[in-house]
Amino acid sequence: MNGASYLAILPEIILIAGAVIVLMVDVFADPEKQVLGRITAAIYLAVGVATWMQWDRLSTDGQSFGWGGTIVLSHSAVAFRAILLIVAVMGTATAWRMLVELNRRTAEGISLLLVATSGFMFMGASVDLVMIFVALEIGSIALYVLAGIVRQSAAADEAAMKYFLLGAFASAIFIYGGALTFAGTGSTNLLEVRAFFQQFQVLSPAVILIGMTLLIVGMSFKVTAAPFHSWAPDVYQGAPSGVVGFMAASAKVGGFAALMTILIGGFERYAAEWADAIAIIAAVSVVLGTLLAIQQTDVRRMLAYSGVAHAGFILTGLTAVGDGRTGIIFYLATYTVMLVASFAAVTVLSGPSSAGSAFDDYRGLGRRSPFTAAVITVLMLGMSGMPLTTGFIGKFQVFSASWDAGFEWLVITGLIASVAAFYFYLRLVVLMYFQSDDDGDVEEIAVDRPLRWVLGFAGIATVVFGLFPSPILDLVSNALGG
Amino acid sequence: MSILSWLVLVPAVSAVFMMLLPERRKELVQPLGLILSVMPVPIALYLFQKFERGTAEFQFVEKVDWIPQLGVSWHLGVDGISLLLVVLTTILVPIALAASTGITDRVRMFMAMTLLLEAGLIGVFLALDLFLFFVFFEVILVPMAFIIGIWGSENRIYAAVKFFLYTALGSAMMLAGIIALAFIHRSQFGALSFDYTELLQLSLTGTQQAWLFVAFALAFAIKVPMFPLHTWLPDAHVQAPTAGSVLLAGVLLKMGTYGFLRFNLPLFPEASVDFIPVMAVLAVVGIVYGAIVAIVQSDLKKLVAYSSVSHMGFIVLGVFALTSQGLQGGVIQMVNHGLTTGALFLLVGMMYERRHTKEIRAYGGVAKSMPIFAGVFLLVAFASIGLPGLNGFIGEFLILIGSYATLPVYAIVAASGVILAAIYLLWAYERVFTGPITIPENEALKDLSLRETLIFVPLVALIIVLGVYPKFALDVIEPSTDAVLERVETTTGFVVPDLPSELAQFNEGGHE
Repeated sequence: MNGASYLAILPEIILIAGAVIVLMVDVFADPEKQVLGRITAAIYLAVGVATWMQWDRLSTDGQSFGWGGTIVLSHSAVAFRAILLIVAVMGTATAWRMLVELNRRTAEGISLLLVATSGFMFMGASVDLVMIFVALEIGSIALYVLAGIVRQSAAADEAAMKYFLLGAFASAIFIYGGALTFAGTGSTNLLEVRAFFQQFQVLSPAVILIGMTLLIVGMSFKVTAAPFHSWAPDVYQGAPSGVVGFMAASAKVGGFAALMTILIGGFERYAAEWADAIAIIAAVSVVLGTLLAIQQTDVRRMLAYSGVAHAGFILTGLTAVGDGRTGIIFYLATYTVMLVASFAAVTVLSGPSSAGSAFDDYRGLGRRSPFTAAVITVLMLGMSGMPLTTGFIGKFQVFSASWDAGFEWLVITGLIASVAAFYFYLRLVVLMYFQSDDDGDVEEIAVDRPLRWVLGFAGIATVVFGLFPSPILDLVSNALGG
Repeated sequence: MSILSWLVLVPAVSAVFMMLLPERRKELVQPLGLILSVMPVPIALYLFQKFERGTAEFQFVEKVDWIPQLGVSWHLGVDGISLLLVVLTTILVPIALAASTGITDRVRMFMAMTLLLEAGLIGVFLALDLFLFFVFFEVILVPMAFIIGIWGSENRIYAAVKFFLYTALGSAMMLAGIIALAFIHRSQFGALSFDYTELLQLSLTGTQQAWLFVAFALAFAIKVPMFPLHTWLPDAHVQAPTAGSVLLAGVLLKMGTYGFLRFNLPLFPEASVDFIPVMAVLAVVGIVYGAIVAIVQSDLKKLVAYSSVSHMGFIVLGVFALTSQGLQGGVIQMVNHGLTTGALFLLVGMMYERRHTKEIRAYGGVAKSMPIFAGVFLLVAFASIGLPGLNGFIGEFLILIGSYATLPVYAIVAASGVILAAIYLLWAYERVFTGPITIPENEALKDLSLRETLIFVPLVALIIVLGVYPKFALDVIEPSTDAVLERVETTTGFVVPDLPSELAQFNEGGHE
């Protein structure tokens, strides 16, 4: 064990330690909520510094492995950490009012958020199937509990239960895939798996291919790719709106990070096979997600199904194997910001602990809260892939990568689905601006300060990096090249 | 920063500025928005003044890296095809805003959306990078959908969403085409590029050209709109507020015909030649169909909307005639149609403001109560029909001569569109303005106010000037359209016929 090994997991150490500290402080001091908030902020700041230190070390020493070769300190792992940190900060700010309303359990909520973040950060840094599984469970179990943390509502309990059962099912499939991989190659370490494929000619790859398929299926559950998405709408609708954005975004980042490590890192030898499979999952996700999103009458279900479509778009980038990575990371970074902010906007209208938010609630929001409506408009345009938003740059990249890899049919499917998707994204805009029944004075909706920050940040980031994506693209491509 | 960037950025920044204005000073919003919208006009006129005639090169070119990782640059330039359209856009926007005093709800946002639309439209005409072009082309949907959806009439939401989805579908296919072009460029030259001038160097196979032509043509045909993709247009026009209709008909539709001329012909010349029959048939069907449907309309605004379908068909026919006269006629007719149809929509809008109906039946004999109004209407109608001495004549005449040389049958059928135009417009004029006043409400209708008269001054002036002395416009257009033709001729087996010298003189000497 050397310093570098500890540095490789320093952000996670801080998060876990922070989670314990928050609980301890709460038990022994019973502090004001404000104090807990400051402690949380300090933890995130420390994680940010640690992540920056990792980046700094990488630029001098380059990539390194630690902890028995299970954890990698690489630029892409750091990139995922940075995305997750942004998601966590935004998610905590969104959830803040809900956390405060939990009274005695505020600290529990905060520490669950911290633990979940650490789990998914681990996932992005793991290069061993067992380690990925452990990381996945750290993150997922924290999320299951978060989904049910508001005990008053039956819908939330149902959501938490459903999330737990299907999540556990997916984890089981994933670990079975890991076991078959071990049976076929003699290792769970993806670097060794890769080396195995380079050294040996696999004569009957059935076991390996089945294992690989199960790994893909398991992760498809986590990233809500169709046809493994069915839990998402119920969970998104039922869970308290304060945490849904965080849940959805962090699990997606972790899941896609793991998928990239597994497929591009470990199974690149079978890229031709899995790229086709991923393309089919991507197409089904995009089409099904879009078609089902069109029919929704609840904003959260709409966002859930649109999330299925977005998972499909990100998978579209994965069909280009290594060439798609820049696009995927850019897409993840920008989409998750929009996703968390969308749920923050939902929270503005329906309160942080509630379940369900009907489309009709948004009628005339352009007058009632011009700021929220403007941000929602930007977010919806961003998610729909309108130029001058980050959504367009992200989509453009995954599409062009996939086109280059020969999946023209997938790109055209995606493009047509994007047009159909305008329908449901625009519907919110139509309700907010086009359908205002009364011209008289309307009651302004107050927006909490943390929510205002989240919404403002997401709105500005979506437009500014949509106009000038170069800094992020540089960062990502340097990371992948280095 | 070059003058072209100013042309795009001034309205864009004005729009953001309007959005940020404090809500309290409502009375300031309208005049301020109007002043801001006039700002691009002198810039555009300066551009017109400084534009060097007699060359097909892009002028005032500006190229700055925008997203170098993707091979995208902020590349603007102007030539004879785009110059007049840019000038037209800058002139129509303040006119449209000046005619929108009827809008009292959320004026700030209305001004901002219109200015944003202007920035996008100018950007479309100036962009020389296909990525950049697509960005402008697509971004325009948002302000236009807002203008229709917020300030339109009863059925506005349906119209706004239909407009948005229809046109977005077309541009999605174009995006696929643009991506394909960029990768073809990489396979031939080693680097991704969206740069128009670089993409012109590609050598594309026949199949590639055909697919790409279709991808681009779909986007442009929906925008024009060409039969049978026109169904969004009547809805959008009828529901849109006056300013929306003016800009929609005046400039937005031209993005389609401009796209054909700028991208389809030079980038895919072989496919363009192959597709002439298809495009010509659809153009002629549009001309006749649009005109016939216009005749039977009982709603004045719908009548003007369908007349647009017919007139835009002429432009497409001119472009795909692939003759010097046809292309020049197409370009100048884009400007003409912007002026005349813009003016017609303004007139209909003003009638609606007075009587709150667009039904032709509700009027009758109103020339007695509003003589000046009727005079302007008649003049504009004549221009739209193509009466010699007014601008419409020049465009349609050039298009018909040009297309007669290569597509004689189509030209003859298309010529019936001119007659049909006389029928629907003059018949509408007769029913609305002439005869005795039968409905009492019409007796007290106010004639054009000073503000309204001022709105029409620039339009009528341009209609007459372009009709009497088209040379100043054709001088700008000709080198660029001829360059397009030359490119088609050198890259394909297509032979552009030389028209008799008397006709050539028509171009040289103007119409005197």
